[in-house]
Amino acid sequence: MNFFSVLRKELTEQWRTKRFLIVAAVLAAFGLTSPLLAKFTPELLKSIPDMPAGLAEMIPAPTVADAVGQYVKNMSQFGILLAVLMSMGAVAQEKERGTAAMMLAHPVSRLDFLMAKFAALAVAFAVSLAVAALGCWYYTLLLFEPLAWGPFLALNGLMLLVFLVYIAVTLLCSTLARTQGAAAGLAFAGLVLVAGVGSLPRVGEYFPGRLFEWGMVLALGGGDPAWPAFWVSLGMIAAALAAAWLVFRRQEV
Amino acid sequence: MIQIENLHKHYGSIRALDGLDMTVEAGTIFGFLGPNGAGKTTTLRILSGLARGTAGRAAVAGLDASADRRALSRRIGCLPEEPAFYPWMTPREFLDYLARLHGLSSADRSRQTRELLDLVSLAEAGKRRIGGFSRGMRQRLGLAAALVHKPEVLLLDEPVSALDPIGRKEMLTLIEDLRGQCTVLMSSHILADVERVCSVVGIIARGRMVIQSPREELMERYARPVFEAEAADAASASRWADRLRVQPWAAAVKLENAVVRVTVNDIARARREILPSAVAQEVILRRFEEARPSLEDVFLQLVGKEAAQ
Amino acid sequence: MELSEIQQYLPFLIPVIVIELALMIAALVDLLKREETRGPKWAWLLVIVLVNFIGPIVYFVIGRKDE
Repeated sequence: MNFFSVLRKELTEQWRTKRFLIVAAVLAAFGLTSPLLAKFTPELLKSIPDMPAGLAEMIPAPTVADAVGQYVKNMSQFGILLAVLMSMGAVAQEKERGTAAMMLAHPVSRLDFLMAKFAALAVAFAVSLAVAALGCWYYTLLLFEPLAWGPFLALNGLMLLVFLVYIAVTLLCSTLARTQGAAAGLAFAGLVLVAGVGSLPRVGEYFPGRLFEWGMVLALGGGDPAWPAFWVSLGMIAAALAAAWLVFRRQEV
Repeated sequence: MIQIENLHKHYGSIRALDGLDMTVEAGTIFGFLGPNGAGKTTTLRILSGLARGTAGRAAVAGLDASADRRALSRRIGCLPEEPAFYPWMTPREFLDYLARLHGLSSADRSRQTRELLDLVSLAEAGKRRIGGFSRGMRQRLGLAAALVHKPEVLLLDEPVSALDPIGRKEMLTLIEDLRGQCTVLMSSHILADVERVCSVVGIIARGRMVIQSPREELMERYARPVFEAEAADAASASRWADRLRVQPWAAAVKLENAVVRVTVNDIARARREILPSAVAQEVILRRFEEARPSLEDVFLQLVGKEAAQ
Repeated sequence: MELSEIQQYLPFLIPVIVIELALMIAALVDLLKREETRGPKWAWLLVIVLVNFIGPIVYFVIGRKDE
């Protein structure tokens, strides 16, 4: 099994090329600023000098729900964007540069090659999201009130699952493409497709985006689970990776 | 060691390989010659398992190239025409990574890495990032990478073509030193390089093997005497070359600036007539010699014949 | 909330600023060590230093050229 040797190389690469730093910094920054923004946006609005007295009264005082809401919103936009940006070159770059051909002439199976990429991205996003969650949880504690850590952890787990869906789909796009440019185009088409279909009224119930809502309600002590979306997400990851492998296996690099 | 039978590779309507046959015996350094686009790279890619033939059979060390890719990768080493590396790695890390993939123990890895870096004279650059390496250094590192698991068969695609004269000489010496250690299949379109190191030569044109034979035999059989003359000016040289082309004893006439190179069939007649023809054309000669035939002449003759068919 | 109250929360921003600075420094070090970038180097320098947070990231994602 050479999977772990390849994974080791992938992780080192992420570290040396500063990819890991980017993911960690972006997610951590959103973790910290989300509660801050939730707390201060209303205050800043109120401090606008010309604000009519009545209107200022109508701005509600921020609550812990705003903090979590802000956090989930940021992750659902920038987190996903980041997942696509960080994964789109993964396979295409190695094909374009010639390193894929170089490595595949050694005992690296194409399955190892793909899975190590997915695993390394999963590790980077999991670790970064953990840092972000810690920051968000701590700031929410300081600025609002403590969040129950169990459900909050569940929220982050669900968000990670959504990221993994986008990473897997983007890896498939990166495998299909011959060049990095084509990979970027396909990846954004994939993003628009998955996110777009997910925002449709009835179908959206079954799409990964639904997990954000579930997680948010969960973190605030509510219920409303969306198991179908959960299983569909897992299925999408498996399907995208399997498709990528089938494509890659037949591809001449 | 390498056996190719009736190998075809089609890209759409283009036939990159069109029924190639080839046999490389164990222990030889095989020079795989052909003009650009003849199918050399395609053959090497199929042998290394990176591409699949459309039809036919290719086997290395008894293993089918399309089926046993994993087992194959343990027994062959490949150096692509432009070896690619991870720019953020150092050569030491890269070789260590490859050795790890081949399942070498930690002690073996560090010894093997050190020995290989010494072999290709990259020991001092061992801790520098590959990103800043020159073409020659990358080529040498590529060779080290292909040798990391002591393969039985080494496939080298144009290993020296992109190098400067010094780099080329170093690389050829390295390849020559592998004689006896493994079977080498080396493609090239530069004949002088092949002539220097290869014991067996195969010439490929348009996806087919034109001839395959030990170098010496090939030279004896096909190398015909060559006359080389340098005229005082290019215009008269060109005039004279046109004249020579219609002579029955001239097999091929090559003109490079003011240098005329004539391959002949009938040496006796050529010796008698070649100088008078220069005089008749009022060509002033700076130099005139009966040259030792080179592999290049054989190559031109054979590939030219193939093209004419 | 009075200004003084807002000031009381300013320390909360310190970790955010630290992250931003770390990113900026990493981008600058990378830029200075790199021989070639996609587009002129001085332009990237301005982007990294002047555009908060997004600048270094945009540099990392599209500014770097494969060697």
